[in-house]
Amino acid sequence: MNDVMKRNNVKVMGQGEQTIIFAHGFGCDQSMWQYIAPTFAERYRIILFDYTGSGNSDITAYQSEKYSTLQGYMQDVLDIIEEMDLQQILFIGHSISSMIGMLAAIERPDYFDKLIMIGPSPCYLNDTDGYVGGFEQSDINELLALMEMNFAGWASYMAPFAMDQSKDPKLTQELENSFVSTNPRIAREFAEVTFFSDYRASVPSVEVPTLIIQCSNDSIVPIEVGEYLNKHLQNSTLQIIDARGHYPHISQPLETTKIITDYLMN
Amino acid sequence: MDERLIEAPCGFISIDHNGSIIEVNKTFLEWMGFKQENLVGKHFESLLTTGNKLIFHSYFYPNINLHGHVEELFINLRNQNGESVPYLMNARRFGQNGQEMIDCILVQMKKRIDYELELRTTKKQMEEAYIEKNLAFAKLEQIYLEIEKKQIELMEINSGLVEISNTDKLTGIPNRRFFQEKLEEQIELYLKEQKTFSLLIIDIDHFKKVNDTYGHQIGDIVLAKLANILKTQARPEDIAARFGGEEFVIILPHTGVDEAILMAQRINQEVERAEWKETGCLTVSVGAATFTVKDTEATILKNADQALYASKENGRNCATHFSEL
Repeated sequence: MNDVMKRNNVKVMGQGEQTIIFAHGFGCDQSMWQYIAPTFAERYRIILFDYTGSGNSDITAYQSEKYSTLQGYMQDVLDIIEEMDLQQILFIGHSISSMIGMLAAIERPDYFDKLIMIGPSPCYLNDTDGYVGGFEQSDINELLALMEMNFAGWASYMAPFAMDQSKDPKLTQELENSFVSTNPRIAREFAEVTFFSDYRASVPSVEVPTLIIQCSNDSIVPIEVGEYLNKHLQNSTLQIIDARGHYPHISQPLETTKIITDYLMN
Repeated sequence: MDERLIEAPCGFISIDHNGSIIEVNKTFLEWMGFKQENLVGKHFESLLTTGNKLIFHSYFYPNINLHGHVEELFINLRNQNGESVPYLMNARRFGQNGQEMIDCILVQMKKRIDYELELRTTKKQMEEAYIEKNLAFAKLEQIYLEIEKKQIELMEINSGLVEISNTDKLTGIPNRRFFQEKLEEQIELYLKEQKTFSLLIIDIDHFKKVNDTYGHQIGDIVLAKLANILKTQARPEDIAARFGGEEFVIILPHTGVDEAILMAQRINQEVERAEWKETGCLTVSVGAATFTVKDTEATILKNADQALYASKENGRNCATHFSEL
């Protein structure tokens, strides 16, 4: 199972008795945590990783069928936890990763101490029952079409991380090829599993205490979604950051760090 | 803003860290039908439809912040009339006086996008055609396999039919039809390559009596048993067949007069020696003939028949060769 560390490009840093797992969201990789992770590394052991198919993970381990639901991604998280024999975990997930962490915490509540969800949404599509997810089917289709038009960008976006790894030009070439051919497909499949997901039914099953952080003017997730989650989670706190966007840990790293630290200190 | 930049042949928009528009050049305003005050101070999002907003936030925003630049992002922006205008956008983060700005250069893709969409459509069609081709090929292969299987079945059925039509039902050895075919073959071979061959006609002695005494059922058993003896006695290349009634024939390829006589006598002995539980005992008379230049299909049969007649005349249970007459 040493493969897990390589497969998910697991990086460990920092000192501390308790462990924080940072889990990136759709279209990103672990580098998105660079503005807040170092602060936490002063007091916690930090684990960063890339989901299979993202960032500098082992692309060859990606299987369309396995990762066609969030359960596949949840397994990545559980694999890392079990491989490293982690306990009392603080899980910080951005966007769709909040839901992946939620599923892991429902599956193995004993592994987790707290969940911290940044810009979470259990369902991105609006529902006829009055649920406001923020998107219509046609919006998602527009995104998928745009992604297709931007394929090269999606591929090269993740490529440089892998390129640094190898001094062997032949291997680099192979990597480059694999990025060009697989990445757009994986990105598209990740987009589909993300934006067409609906895990509202799972929300009330979470026993682990949860902090929800949301931007006051989130461009992707409407404020109603944060309120929905806060209402349906058993043990949750909702913190609104006065900001626009979907990446408070990038745009307002200090404020985000403070909210998380305050929650953990309590 | 620099005069040249204001009039530059590309759109120029500068946004702050949060995505609010700080500056915009005249070219872009003219292209989109906006006035300065429509955009400055607004968030870049105000130019985007929901799908484009998603691309902006899930791709552009993290990328510009983590890597400092975004290149060749394809994005649709809404103009004053709400129409979607395709753009290619490059962006770079720029720090000035402790302030962070993101400069975006935009080039319209009006014609280019038509080409791209055309290419994309063609690519999709090709992919579909490719899949269809593969499916059709797989189907053809399947059909081919089925045909092959059917063909084998047919051939099996056919060879079964041929065997049935060449076999005597009662005794299980070849019938007269088959015998005649083989006889013709032997004659042809003789004429072509002078390969000698002989023919035996074997007739059961007093078979009528067997039938009359023990009934036809026993008669049939006797016929089958005799056929079996003949088959066993025949060498691999010999052809033993039922000629009709209680008459049997054996074609002996590569066999001259002397050898034919020996073969005929051996049959006499083997039949006599065999155990005939049904009738107590049984004998046969044999007539032999060897094909000569003067012979035809009819004459060799006639000759063998004459020799058989001689055997009968000589008291049965013996063999006569036509040449001895």
